[in-house]
Amino acid sequence: MKTLEYLLESPELYLPGCVAGVLVGATCALLSVIVSLKRLAFIGQGISHAAFGGMGFAAIAGLATMSSGIAATTSIAQFGIVFSFCIAAALLVGLVSGRRSGRSRTHADTAIGVVLVASMALGSILGSMSRGGVIWESFLFGSLLATGWTEVGLAAICGTGVLLTLLALRRQIMFWTFDEPAAEAFGVDCERVRVVVLILLTVATVTAMKLAGVVLATALLVLPGATALRLSSRLAPVLVWSLMIALAGVAIGMVLSFELNWAPGSCIVLALTALFAGSWLITSTGSAPAQRA
Amino acid sequence: MQPVISYQSVSFSYQWPDASVQDAAGRESLERAMVLRDVTLDVLPGERLGILGPNGGGKSTLLKLTLGLLQGHKGQILVCGMPPREARRAGRIGYVPQKIEAELGSPLTVLQVVRMAASISLPAWKGLSAEANKHVLECLNVVGAAALADRSIGELSGGQVQRVMIARALAPRPAVLLLDEPTVGIDVVGQQQFAELLSSLRAWLGVTIVVVSHDLRTVAAGCDRVACLSRTLHAHTDPRGLTPEVLGEVFRHDVAAIFGDVHVHAHPASECAHHHDANHMHDAKHTPVLNVAGEQLESRAATDRPRGEPGR
Repeated sequence: MKTLEYLLESPELYLPGCVAGVLVGATCALLSVIVSLKRLAFIGQGISHAAFGGMGFAAIAGLATMSSGIAATTSIAQFGIVFSFCIAAALLVGLVSGRRSGRSRTHADTAIGVVLVASMALGSILGSMSRGGVIWESFLFGSLLATGWTEVGLAAICGTGVLLTLLALRRQIMFWTFDEPAAEAFGVDCERVRVVVLILLTVATVTAMKLAGVVLATALLVLPGATALRLSSRLAPVLVWSLMIALAGVAIGMVLSFELNWAPGSCIVLALTALFAGSWLITSTGSAPAQRA
Repeated sequence: MQPVISYQSVSFSYQWPDASVQDAAGRESLERAMVLRDVTLDVLPGERLGILGPNGGGKSTLLKLTLGLLQGHKGQILVCGMPPREARRAGRIGYVPQKIEAELGSPLTVLQVVRMAASISLPAWKGLSAEANKHVLECLNVVGAAALADRSIGELSGGQVQRVMIARALAPRPAVLLLDEPTVGIDVVGQQQFAELLSSLRAWLGVTIVVVSHDLRTVAAGCDRVACLSRTLHAHTDPRGLTPEVLGEVFRHDVAAIFGDVHVHAHPASECAHHHDANHMHDAKHTPVLNVAGEQLESRAATDRPRGEPGR
C-alpha cells in the first residue's frame, strides 16, 4: 500500500491534501443537491472556467506557482485573485440572465458560454505574457502536492461559511429550489437567494480548484447530489447520501491517486462517476418491473 | 367593514404616455395600450369573488399588482390596509399559481412543502410552534390531502398537487386566498369537486377567496359576486346577473381588439350543446357568448392538455 507509506513517511507533504479533500468534498456535497435540482451544473462550469482569467492575472503578478512549499501569503493572494475573478463572472452571468432584467435577450446558457470561452482565452494570453507562465496541467487537473496547510485553512473557513449561510437561509433556498415562480409571492426574495447561491457555488468551486483542478472542480458540485437524488426521494437521506458519496469519492480517488500516481482530480471524478453509474444501475434495475407494469 | 382588498381607480400600462406625447392620436394609441383602466372594486371580508375575463383582459396584471410583484400603477391598491408588497411580505395573501412550475423531483414530502410556506418568514433559528404545526395539518386536512402528508410531492397526480398548493397557500394564515385560473385542465367532475372544496375552505377558515378565471363555470359555481374584467370593469354582480348581454360586452371587447368590431352571432345549436352541456349557467343553451369570443374554444384546447404532470 503506497497510500499508507506516503502518509506515514511524509505526512507534511500528503496529509494537507487529504484533509482539504474531505473539507472540499463535504462543502460541495450539500451544494450539489441544489445544483442538481436547479440545473446549475453549467453555471458551475462557467464559474470554474473564469478561473483561467484569474490565473492569468495571478501569473502577471508572479503569483501563479502551483508547486509545494509556496508562502502562505502567495497562496492566499492567488486564491483572492482567482476568487475575485470567478465572483465577477458569476455575478455577471447572474445579472445578464436574472429575472429582474425582464425578458432579457440573453439566456443564462448563452451568457455562461460567452464568459467561459472569454476568460479561458484571456487566461491563456495573460499566462503566456507573464515571465513564469502557468503550469496549466496542475491547474487543470489538480495537485495534491500543491495543497498545503494554508489551503486547508482556506477550505475550512470557506466550508464553514457555506454551511452557516445554508443554515441561515435554508428555508428561502429550499423554497426557491422547489418553486421559484411562486416563491416571490410567498415573500422569498428570489433575486437575493439567486445571488447568494451563485456566491456559494463560487466559493466552493474556487476552494475545490486547487485540489481537483479547474476542469474537474465542478464535478464535485454535480455528481454527489445527482447520485443521492437517485437513491432517495426524502430530504434528510438525500443530504446524508450526498455527503457520504462525496467523501467516498474523495477517499477512493485519493487512494487511486497515491497508488497509481495519477492526478487526484481525475481520480476523484472517476470514482464519483463510478458511484453515480452504480446508483443508476441499482435504481434502474430495481424500478424496471414497476415501470413495465 | 374594511375591505380585504380595495382597488381605487387602478390603471396600469406597461408604457405610460409621458409629457412629450402631446398630440391626440399618440395619446389615444397609448390609451389603448393600457392594460387596466380605472378599476374600482372592494373585496369584502369572507366573500368569494370571481373575476371573469378573457385572455389579455388584464386578469394576470391585476393579480400581480395585488401581490405587489408589479409596480407602477395609478390609483390605489390596499390589501388589509397595507400596500401590496407589505401585505405579501407579512403573509396576508395566499397565492395559488395557475401553472404548477415547481420542481416535482425535489426530495420533499407533502408535509414539508406546506411547512415550508408556514415557516418562511420565521427567523432562521426558530422552528414552527406546536400550534403552527397543528395549523399545517389542518390545512392539509381541509383540502383533503391529510392522507398524503408523508408522500413525496413527485408521487402525486396533478389534481393532488393542486390541493397541496392550496394547503401551502393557506399555511401562512392569509386573510385572502388568490387563485389564478384554478380549473384549467380539470374535467367537469373535478371542477364540481373544486367548487365544493372552496366552499368548505370558507366554511372552515372564513378566508376571503378571489378566483380569477376566463372560464365561466369556474367563476359562476359558488361565487357570491362576479366582477367582469376586460381592461376595465364591465359588471359587478352576483352570478345570476351574468346575462348574455353582460358576457357579450365583456368578451366582445377581446374579439374587437383582435378582429375589429365583430357582432355576436349564435353558433349552430349542436356545437353550442356540445360546449355547454355541463354549464352552470341557467340559460346556457342560448348563450352564444362563449364561442363568439373565441375564448371558450381556446380554453378547451388548454383543457385537453394534461396539467403539469410530475416530470419523472
